[in-house]
Amino acid sequence: MEERKIGVYVCNCGTNIAKMVDCDGVCEHAAQQPGVVLAKSYKYMCSNPGQEMIIEDIKEQGLDRVVVAACSPRMHEPTFRKALQTAGISPYFLEMANIREQCSWVHDGGEAATEKARALTLGAIRRVQYHQPLERRSVNMCPNVLVIGGGFVGMTAALELADGGSQVYLVERQRNLGGNVARVDLTAPYLDSARDMVTALITRTMEHPNIFVFLNSEVGSLEGYVGNFRAVVDTVWGDQATSNEYEVGNVVVATGYKEFDASRVTHYGYGKLPNVITSFEFEKMLRAGRVETKEGKTPNYAAIIHCVGSRNREFHTYCSRVCCMTALKYAHELKSAVPSCYVSDLYVDMHAFGKGHEDFYRRGSEAKTLFLMYAKGDHPVIRKAEPKDGCEMLIEVNEKLSREVIEIPADLVILMVGMEARDDSDAVARLVNISRDKDGWFIESHPKLDPVATTTDGIYIAGACAAPKDIPDSVAQARAAAARILARTIRGTIDIDAVFAEVDEDKCCGCRICNGLCPYSAIEFNEEKKRSNVISALCKACGACVAACPSSAITARHFTDEQIFAQIEGVLA
Amino acid sequence: MAIRVNPKLIDDLEVYGAQDVSKCYHCGNCSATCPFSKEPFIFPRRPMRFLQMGLEKKLESSLEPWLCYYCGECSDECPRDAEPGETMMSLRRWLTSRYDFTGISRLFYRSGKIELLAVVGAAILTGLGFVLWGMSHGSISNYDGPNAFLPAGSIHIFDWALAGVLLVLLLTNCARMWWFTVGRDESISPSLGSYVRSLYLLPLHFITQKRYAKCERKRPWGIHLGLMLSYLTMLILIMFFLPLFQPGPSIDWRLHVFGYLATAGLLGATIYALRGRLKKTEAQYKHSHETDWLFLALLMFVTFTGILQHFLHRGGLGAAANVTYVVHLMGVVPMLGLEVPFSKWSHLAYRPLAMYFAQVKAEAEARVPEAVPEPVVVSSRVTGVM
Repeated sequence: MEERKIGVYVCNCGTNIAKMVDCDGVCEHAAQQPGVVLAKSYKYMCSNPGQEMIIEDIKEQGLDRVVVAACSPRMHEPTFRKALQTAGISPYFLEMANIREQCSWVHDGGEAATEKARALTLGAIRRVQYHQPLERRSVNMCPNVLVIGGGFVGMTAALELADGGSQVYLVERQRNLGGNVARVDLTAPYLDSARDMVTALITRTMEHPNIFVFLNSEVGSLEGYVGNFRAVVDTVWGDQATSNEYEVGNVVVATGYKEFDASRVTHYGYGKLPNVITSFEFEKMLRAGRVETKEGKTPNYAAIIHCVGSRNREFHTYCSRVCCMTALKYAHELKSAVPSCYVSDLYVDMHAFGKGHEDFYRRGSEAKTLFLMYAKGDHPVIRKAEPKDGCEMLIEVNEKLSREVIEIPADLVILMVGMEARDDSDAVARLVNISRDKDGWFIESHPKLDPVATTTDGIYIAGACAAPKDIPDSVAQARAAAARILARTIRGTIDIDAVFAEVDEDKCCGCRICNGLCPYSAIEFNEEKKRSNVISALCKACGACVAACPSSAITARHFTDEQIFAQIEGVLA
Repeated sequence: MAIRVNPKLIDDLEVYGAQDVSKCYHCGNCSATCPFSKEPFIFPRRPMRFLQMGLEKKLESSLEPWLCYYCGECSDECPRDAEPGETMMSLRRWLTSRYDFTGISRLFYRSGKIELLAVVGAAILTGLGFVLWGMSHGSISNYDGPNAFLPAGSIHIFDWALAGVLLVLLLTNCARMWWFTVGRDESISPSLGSYVRSLYLLPLHFITQKRYAKCERKRPWGIHLGLMLSYLTMLILIMFFLPLFQPGPSIDWRLHVFGYLATAGLLGATIYALRGRLKKTEAQYKHSHETDWLFLALLMFVTFTGILQHFLHRGGLGAAANVTYVVHLMGVVPMLGLEVPFSKWSHLAYRPLAMYFAQVKAEAEARVPEAVPEPVVVSSRVTGVM
């Protein structure tokens, strides 16, 4: 192997590293290694002067490999790669030794920490000699988008994308667009009509020249990778079934939620007491414009019970987020439908976090809604009333704010059922190759910094399929997903990281062990050649296939055997 | 046993002045800011909760509303404008109507018109009675002397008769108050000794209102005490010394000095309160119930006619003084006859009684043996460190 000219840069990170590690000592040790032309330590390598020092050294000393001993590569590898590129050499000629997170931060100092830093740096020096000048590739980005789910979110995303010029295939399983919002009467807290909003959206969606709406349809399969998916849409009309394939570059999953099944809760008598109904059954009443008991009587007393199926260990531990405001909306709508009706609202906590919510809560109390607080796990109990009680049911509740056990009359009880993941969310997750959390909700790439992307490139999630959400949040996500897709399609191509696994076809025996192992479904099997092949655009370079391959036919670029062995030898030297 | 709520109670209380209680969301700032809120009497939050929930019997048996003097701090601190101070005031009105077995009080508080009608009716009857009686034996031009239109001796007897009736009514109401708040509470059984020991609280709080002085704002206490002492002085003068200072025209300064002081006190406090209610200067004056206006109007009327008849008499205008006297009595009789047992004046009795009962109740509750605490079993393995 030809002689390398390696530059080693040891970062003090202020005192983050220097406090525990003798950085100058690490430098001296590195400088003595074969191939190392220079070794420097500096206060902040990631600062502009730090980067410029590296760039100048590369240019003046003709360095062809660089080791930066500093923080985690997750933090600043892109920074230093860019510096190498600026200096005119391949950005992949860089190796970082993590002497902060994996050394100074986790050790008590003394000689041992410095010794570890020396070893890590030496590992990097040995490894970097084998680095190859990898080339980034770019692939075509198909501008068409598949939107799964024709609810409020799906339509909003579709319209945004279609307005931006994309061809959108909107697939809805049911006969109509609108989803769950179409089942709602008014919306909280501004009491706008959900029906009006949904109707306007449906009209625009159906009329948009760039949107193809598939009703009674499902996505049968999705193959390919970001920018180059092939989606099969199965449609059933009566006894006629059709199946069509479409090219799409990105996918928005907007499959929404389903309401919690109230009959799973036994203590509220749902299914046994005729006038205990769910929130969606009450919406139906409101939409029909008739608030009455099953016997057709006007209720004198109505009670609303929160957190049915939500926020308890038995069913779902999470908060469904929309029920509190929906309950206040019911109190409002009950009072306007039946002004003489006394409305009690039995809650655990009143979550009024959104815009206008606190004012809405205040208006609810001004309208004399009787708010009663019960403790989590100490739920109210409903029983049928006697004729002398003058009401249909009696609700016994251990009321927290008064510390009294009380009994309230009720003719109508509304259970605020929470949201849960759809039964087939696992099938959808498998179809588009994304993950689900313990509750069945789809997992985002990063819960805070990347909330609509997923771990699979080109697959986006929006709305309540990712977690319970209200309409404003869901709409924001729909538009965010659309914006992300439009931003990526505008270039027409997409860069693919140069680091991925490769199959040597001559060595592959076609055993297909790697096919099932790949967590990103990035390996396809060529039936003709009887060989496996890695789709580089999908590969995340995790290395699972590399380790598993019995024929050693798979190599991970930038993580070759000789690179890793050199590093191990360096660390142990 | 679960207590049945009465969802309508909150509506009922609206006419008593509790219009904003539904806004309360129980942060507890009011109870925290109140200098009187101490275990076992925590307020205003707890009574407000009872009211929201319609726990009628709990409210009926609570002493808390009487322990509040309405300094208004709680209403100022309330983040929801739920007016805890005014709610306590409304509860006092409601409790007054509950203590009164005749139902008259309830009628008055629920309708200002009926109370006004009753006042006017009583005034007309009083006027008619005194005119007919005066003409039957005296001369309209004689204020005093043997031929006096309204001889002081006879008025004195009338005063005592009226006081007797009122006292019986008021005492009955007080007895009902005791029954609601202490008597029927089965969880406590106060000892006779405790009743005797705490008895001193009654006159103490009645005369000094020293509890009110604990409020951060001192001025309302001063005004309230001044009004009460003036009223009391006037009452003592009338009940015991009427025949001595009524006849003129000489002025007996040993007695009259008290009369003038009391008059000044009544006048000053009434004008202050009227001005406060009109301009809504302080928290306790922001909300005025119809009964508050009627009370102040009667007080003003009685004070003015009293002063006028005094001057007319001493000025030698016998006939005019007699007419003014009758008019004065037309104010006094309804004011005392209706306000003392049925309306605002009754709090003169209920408030000191509440302090007294509160002390008795607290002592009795302290005597209730606490549940035997569960023995703490400590595993020897855990304590093995010894």
